[in-house]
Amino acid sequence: MNKEPNLTLKIATEKTFTQCKDAIFNQLHEFGGAWIFLTKILRTFKKTSGHRDAIIQQIAEVSTRTMSTVIFAGLFVGAILVLQFDVMLRRFDAQSLLGGLNTSATIREIGPLIISFLLAGKIGAFTTAELANMRVTEQIDAIESLGTNSIQYLIIPRFIAIILSSVVLLAIGLSVSVFGAIIVAQIFSGINIYQYISSIPRFAGGWTLFEGLVRSILFSTVVATISTFKGYTATGGARGVGKAVTQAAIYINVYIVITNFISSSILEWIHDLLYFSISIVERIFL
Amino acid sequence: MSIRFQNVYKAFAEKQILDGVSFQVNAGEILFILGKSGMGKSVTLKHIIGVLEPDQGKIFVDEFEVSSMHTYDQKDELTLVRQRCGMVFQHPALLDSLTNFENVAFGLRTPQYRKKIGRTLTEEEINAIVLKTIKLVHVNEDTLPLKPYEVSYGVQKRISMARTLAPGPEYLLFDEPTTGLDPLSTSSINKLIFELSRKLKVTSIIVSHDMACALSIADQILFLDQGKVLLCAPPKEVIHSTIPLVQDFFKETMSLLPPNWSLKA
Repeated sequence: MNKEPNLTLKIATEKTFTQCKDAIFNQLHEFGGAWIFLTKILRTFKKTSGHRDAIIQQIAEVSTRTMSTVIFAGLFVGAILVLQFDVMLRRFDAQSLLGGLNTSATIREIGPLIISFLLAGKIGAFTTAELANMRVTEQIDAIESLGTNSIQYLIIPRFIAIILSSVVLLAIGLSVSVFGAIIVAQIFSGINIYQYISSIPRFAGGWTLFEGLVRSILFSTVVATISTFKGYTATGGARGVGKAVTQAAIYINVYIVITNFISSSILEWIHDLLYFSISIVERIFL
Repeated sequence: MSIRFQNVYKAFAEKQILDGVSFQVNAGEILFILGKSGMGKSVTLKHIIGVLEPDQGKIFVDEFEVSSMHTYDQKDELTLVRQRCGMVFQHPALLDSLTNFENVAFGLRTPQYRKKIGRTLTEEEINAIVLKTIKLVHVNEDTLPLKPYEVSYGVQKRISMARTLAPGPEYLLFDEPTTGLDPLSTSSINKLIFELSRKLKVTSIIVSHDMACALSIADQILFLDQGKVLLCAPPKEVIHSTIPLVQDFFKETMSLLPPNWSLKA
């Protein structure tokens, strides 16, 4: 009589274990596939520079499609951060640091992250759906059959456009975000524009801009790679298109978070190493 | 000048699609591939242009072994093979972002085509080739500035055919060219395939369910079932075959044909 519950538990454990194992293998398989696809893109890009006109057209499309959302979101991101920092800084009577802290956090972390999530939602999903539809209706096969490299013709313009546009959108998003933050700081925290701007150089210098730029490029590479990969390899008709878009959205968000963690650690390490080297040089020569 | 399959195997996940397929098509011949749905007919065609890679076996297009051209370094050779073969897909597969004219001219603007003819075609030349090709497939000039989704499915199919014919392929591969068309369009496309093969001496492989058309214009008919070649023979032998699936196909077709129908000379 006692054996039955044990047996059920054993079966349930085995089932859970198998499901976990399959999920891990699937993730690794997808990651491997995306990585191979990225190397293919880079090799094709190295060999043939792609289509300049198509790239310009794609940049225009990506930028115009995302611009309004980036401006709208950017405005509120800056505002929200001001409110959060204000609550904390008020306790220590350090509201004069609000502008610097807020701008630094936006440029280094929140800006690139938000822009990438917006790109994933608007451009990533659109790119995946468009390519997946082309795959299931044999348009990509037709391009290949006419002797054209489909990666060069379809993927490279979209890939480059997403990365370049993300840098432009980041610049616009950050500018808007700072503008939004200044307004909210003035209205809700009583910090005037001069106080706000004067504290920025104390926290946000050249390294902060570099970090933001690196992160933005890395995240947009994730968006570009996963969205084109999932679209290009879609199978199974309309259902396959839907599945590809859903998977692309999930994988992009997961990989962006992972990339954020890894890039933060590496950039922090480089930053420390750089300052350590500078301090040694200063001790030796000065 | 031939296309040869030597013991080709292909599986998708657990399902074996091609199971030791071997056949040969010689220059100027028309080969029909018949069989039930999902038996590997379209997969066979996609192997010829290297869109799919076999798990085992060899595929030759003239002197090129397509089955070994899937590494990155052999992409240029594969492109050469693809230029020789023109494929008409089951769906029109026209690029939505381009006009019908641009779709037909697509193959003429590729760097590979420029390499093949040794120069760049002028816009006038491209225009002339496009107009000549659409006449071949009986498409009205008025449809050229429109986008593919603005014309009927039948016209899309013909434009897709024109796109394939424009660069002047030596082999034509048709994947169910008459699916979804009305009887008149079906008949005219069948005639067109026959004319292209006989007038332009183009070797054709046609995947179809249309036994009547196969009996009318094919030089050889190949039956695929469960990924295996059941029979590959001229129409006269197919009629007298004792293989049950072939008989079923033939009986079903005969019941639909007019009483005065006869096998081609």
